[in-house]
Amino acid sequence: MLLKVNNIHKSFDGNLVLKGISLEVNKGDVIAILGPSGSGKTTLLRCINFLERADDGELIFDDVKHQLNKISHREISAIRKKTAFVFQNYNLFLNKTVLDNVTEGLIIARKMDKKLAREKAIKALEKVGMADRLDSYPIQLSGGQQQRVAIARALATDPEIIYFDEPTSALDPELIGEVLNVMKDLANDGMTMLVVTHEMNFARNVSNKVIFMDNGQIIEENTSKGFFENPQEERAKAFVQGIIEQRAIKKEGEK
Amino acid sequence: MSERIWEILKNAFFRILIPGIKVTIPLAVLSFAFAFIIALAVALVQFANVKGLKQLSRFYVWIIRGTPVLVQLYIVFFGLPKIGITLTAFPAAVIVFSINEGAYMSESLRASLESVPHGQIEAGYCVGMSYLQIMRRIVLPQALRIAFPSLGNALISLVKETSMAATITVVEMFRAAQQVNSIYIEPLWLYTEAAFMYLMFCTVLTWLQRWGEKKLNAYGGVK
Repeated sequence: MLLKVNNIHKSFDGNLVLKGISLEVNKGDVIAILGPSGSGKTTLLRCINFLERADDGELIFDDVKHQLNKISHREISAIRKKTAFVFQNYNLFLNKTVLDNVTEGLIIARKMDKKLAREKAIKALEKVGMADRLDSYPIQLSGGQQQRVAIARALATDPEIIYFDEPTSALDPELIGEVLNVMKDLANDGMTMLVVTHEMNFARNVSNKVIFMDNGQIIEENTSKGFFENPQEERAKAFVQGIIEQRAIKKEGEK
Repeated sequence: MSERIWEILKNAFFRILIPGIKVTIPLAVLSFAFAFIIALAVALVQFANVKGLKQLSRFYVWIIRGTPVLVQLYIVFFGLPKIGITLTAFPAAVIVFSINEGAYMSESLRASLESVPHGQIEAGYCVGMSYLQIMRRIVLPQALRIAFPSLGNALISLVKETSMAATITVVEMFRAAQQVNSIYIEPLWLYTEAAFMYLMFCTVLTWLQRWGEKKLNAYGGVK
C-alpha cells in the first residue's frame, strides 16, 4: 500500500464538501475518480496533496501516518517531494522555458546537479514528445503541449504517485487525445496515478479501478470493468446510463 | 526675441542645467531607489498576508497618500527640528520623496503581484519549492515585468516632483532658475527654460522606458 486516506472531511463556509472519504492506493494502481460536477472530486485530490487543508482525517503515505488537520509544513514538504500534481490549467511557470519548467523542481527544490537535472528533464520531455521545444515559453505552446510539459515536469521528479486533476478538461477536443496517450503510456509503465476525470474512455480502458463520488461521498468503488459493465449502486447505474445515452445522442447528431 | 533675452538664456543655461544634473537627478534616482525598496517590502507583506505588518502597511499607505507631499516636506524639514531631529535639506527631501513615492509604488507592485496567475504558486509547491523560492523565482520576476511601465511612470513624475524641494532650500533645478531670475527678472523666459530642461530629462527617461519594455518583452510575449 502506497497511500491511504481515512475519513477526510472538508467544508467551505459551512458547506460540507467532503463527508468522510476513505480510499487506498496500491503501487501501480491507476484509479479514476468519477462523478458529477460538484461531487467533491477535485477537493479530495487537493486535500490529499495539501493544496487545501482538510478539517479532519488522516493520511498514511509510505507507512507514515499524518493527521491532516495538524500536519506540519515540514511533513507536507517531505511528502510533496515524493508526489506530483498535474492541474486542469497546466499552471506552467510562465517566465520559464519548457526545459526550465521541468528542471526547476529538481535544481531548486531538490538541489540536484544542473547537468543531471537537464538530462532527466530532457528524458521526461522526450517521453511526452516535447523535447523539440526546450527553449519555447509556455505561451507559445498549445494547451495540449502545455499539459504534456506539465506532465513531464511531474514525471522528472520521479514521483511515487502522480495526481491528475481533470487534466483534459481545459483542452480543445482535438487536443485531448495527445494528453490521454501520454497518460496511457505512463500507466503502461507502471506509474501509480490518481486521476480525477470526465474521460470515460480513459476510466474504462486505462484505469484498473474506479471510484465514483457524489455529494461528497464515495458511492461506489469497483474495478473499472465492473463499474462500467455492472455498476452496483443506483446512482452509479444512473451515471453510467447517462454516459451511454449521451453517446447515443452524439452518434445521432453525427449521422 | 531680443539680443538681451538671448544672452540671458545662454548665460542661464548651465547655471540651471548643472544643478539639474548634480541635484535633481541624484535626488530623483536616490528617492526612487529607496521608494522601490519600501514599496517592495510593503507590497510583499500585503501579498503574503503577514498579520500585523499588513495592517501597518495599509496604515502607511493611507497616511501618505492622504496628505500632500509639500506638507510632508514642511513637516520633516521645518517641523522635526522642534523635537530635536534636524536634517539638512537634501537628506530631508530624499526621505520625504522616498516615503511618499514608496506608498504609491507599493500599490502598483501589489497589483502586479496579484496579477500573476495564482496556479503557478500551487504548481511551485507541488514540485517541492518553498514559498520564498516560488516568490523569488516565479512570482516576482513576472510581477516586476508587469510593474515596469508604472515604475517608469513613477520615476518620471518623481523627476518633476523634486522641484518642490526648492521650497525647503534644496538648490535643485527649479531653485537655480529662481536664483537666476532674481538677477534678471525674466520669469517667462527663465522658467520656460527650466521647464524645457525638465522636458529633456523626462524625454530621455521615456526613451529608456520604451527600450526597457522591449528588452523585457521575452517569455514569448507574455504581457
